[in-house]
Amino acid sequence: METKMPMVLDVISENIIKHGSPLALKGSEVASWAKGLNLPVKGELLFYTGGEYQMLPFIDSLVKTITHLDQGSKVFSMMMGARNLLNKTGFSPEKMYASVLAKDKDRYNSVCFKAAKVLKELEYEFCYSGNDELYSGALLYELGYLEDMEKYVQRVVEVIKKSGAKTIVCLSPHAAEVFKFIYPKMVKDFDFEIRTFVDLVWERREKLAKIQSKSVVIHDSCRLARELSIHQELRDILESVGVEVKEAAMNREWTSCCGGPIKILFPELSHVIGGRRVNELKESGSEHILTSCPYCLSALEGGLAKGDSAVIEDLIEFLYRGVKA
Amino acid sequence: MTVDFRKDFVNYEKSLNAASEDKNIRTAISRAVTSYRNTVAETLERFPHTPQLAEEVQEIKSQSMANLDNLVEQAMASVERNKGKAFYAKDHQAALEIALGIIGKGKTVVKGKSMLGEELHLREYLEDNGNEVWETDLGEFILQLRKERPMHILSPSIHVPREQVAEVFSKFFNKEVPPDIAEEVKVVREFLREKYFTADIGISGANVVAADTGAMVIIENEGNVRLATGAPPVHIVMVGVEKLVPTFQDAMKVAEVTWRYAQYGVPGYVNIVSGPSKTGDIEKVTTYGAHGPKEFYVIFVDNGRKEMAKEEKFSQALHCLRCGGCMYECPVFQVTAGHFGHTYMGGIGTIWTAFVSGGMEKAAPLVYSCLRCGRCVERCPMSINVPGMIGELRERIVYGKYED
Repeated sequence: METKMPMVLDVISENIIKHGSPLALKGSEVASWAKGLNLPVKGELLFYTGGEYQMLPFIDSLVKTITHLDQGSKVFSMMMGARNLLNKTGFSPEKMYASVLAKDKDRYNSVCFKAAKVLKELEYEFCYSGNDELYSGALLYELGYLEDMEKYVQRVVEVIKKSGAKTIVCLSPHAAEVFKFIYPKMVKDFDFEIRTFVDLVWERREKLAKIQSKSVVIHDSCRLARELSIHQELRDILESVGVEVKEAAMNREWTSCCGGPIKILFPELSHVIGGRRVNELKESGSEHILTSCPYCLSALEGGLAKGDSAVIEDLIEFLYRGVKA
Repeated sequence: MTVDFRKDFVNYEKSLNAASEDKNIRTAISRAVTSYRNTVAETLERFPHTPQLAEEVQEIKSQSMANLDNLVEQAMASVERNKGKAFYAKDHQAALEIALGIIGKGKTVVKGKSMLGEELHLREYLEDNGNEVWETDLGEFILQLRKERPMHILSPSIHVPREQVAEVFSKFFNKEVPPDIAEEVKVVREFLREKYFTADIGISGANVVAADTGAMVIIENEGNVRLATGAPPVHIVMVGVEKLVPTFQDAMKVAEVTWRYAQYGVPGYVNIVSGPSKTGDIEKVTTYGAHGPKEFYVIFVDNGRKEMAKEEKFSQALHCLRCGGCMYECPVFQVTAGHFGHTYMGGIGTIWTAFVSGGMEKAAPLVYSCLRCGRCVERCPMSINVPGMIGELRERIVYGKYED
């Protein structure tokens, strides 16, 4: 039997397979944050972004395009007819995402830069694959494209192996999850040690400079808290920098999902769920929300009501405040 | 053959969006979630042995599902030994026909709440075949009058506030019923009381069945099951084969874990029925049909369950106790209620939709609206790995690796 899935799934899976990025971003775009840092391409510890933070502003744009297009409409059918064209030329983010704000692009691009600076500050030495880095394929796993993923990951591993690294540090818990639990089933001798940014910071948290800030509330990411069992570490890190942590009623392994995983197929519902989570977090008494996952960051930002004064940041962005310029 | 899911996704998305804007659903579920979490936390504190008992039940369930054919055989023999009649229904149609064969036409039937009944569209089928059927669970009764399907497995009319109940009751009873919950409960009590004692047949489900004794264990609070299965001369139990466990002792363990996570605290009633009513009080001669039913029938329904039991990646879904706890923890269910579902609801319901009630094509859009966030697993006393199963279903859908 053959099945026809919603177009957005076709677009995303094909982009990953053909372009190594769910939104067909170019390697040079994904790696632009690293300009001037002169990171080596080989080393013991590989800094892995997977392009996830970098693509966040574009996801919203894609979602907006979908939301405004009634998939039953004539325009939509015409677009479906144009699929062949898209197949030949690849998805064109330049055109489709022309509306993305420069400030959003800059913000999400700089998350990787800030993460690198924080780790440098803690005296970690690491390498980075730059323009060659490929997306982990986590969405192929998430969306059920496992046969495609099995082929795709071999290419990702080739790039990783070129670095000569033994350990991979992932900024996104989604990448860490698939490297840890899925890759070993699909790739022969995938024996890399998989760490997260949070792990590495936690180990050397005593070296972090103090940060002046009002209290914060942690939004535990589902993947981090439940799959990777990382939640106390976030609190320890914040304690080390001298910041008070308020707790949401549903936290740690009982955390409420941000709604992000269904954003591409059910954007409005995802938005409602994100908004509810923002309110749940604010009930803690803090309006400064920290998370440690690109999709949570984006979904919570999206769930923030107009005029809401709450601040949503990635832990990386928050810790960068303590880094000497 | 090509199956095009695109329209289904669009329509499903519309229904989810509409539900998420429904203030009744939002308010009702917010209240329900808070009350669920509080009651369960409090009762787990009062009965701290529960999590360990739940682990024991997981083992009982997993052994039972591995041994399902034997258990069905044993349970049927037990029911017969108790002077009941036992049937096995391979599928949906067979289950309905067996029930109709017992009931016939022109009868009055009182029915307890049963998700299997929903799966089979039992009430509608019996009505279409010339019978009068009354739902006796208050929530189900409200839905019967509103011609709606349940929005939660335990609190089926969770989305209907008292004002709307008053409206539908006033119309049905042809008198002014105020939007006062006690009054609403009272009018239904009066109406159904007469039905229990004039009904020809009572139908119930069962929460757990002990194969060794043929004991059907039915947990309830309203007392409707007690009356519906006790007053009429005939009692029919329709139960999914996944409810079977080997022994009476096992059944008690399953029942206790079920009600504790189902927010019953301590349930008002636990009914245990193993056969027709009988007496030996005159000359020690056993005579059937004393105060309770004279006839007792049990229909064990498969309808895809045994197939599921054989699938290594899915058999765990049959451990579900239907406590409903996962639904309260599901961020999608919290804003859409039973719209995230077909007959069975939420993440676990999506797995059941694929195998038992609806098929893969009904399940596909549901499968993609699960966040795979995993909080249901934290709540589930059986630790059913729903996100893992959802992942497996997605793969089957994407590559068309299924038969419908």
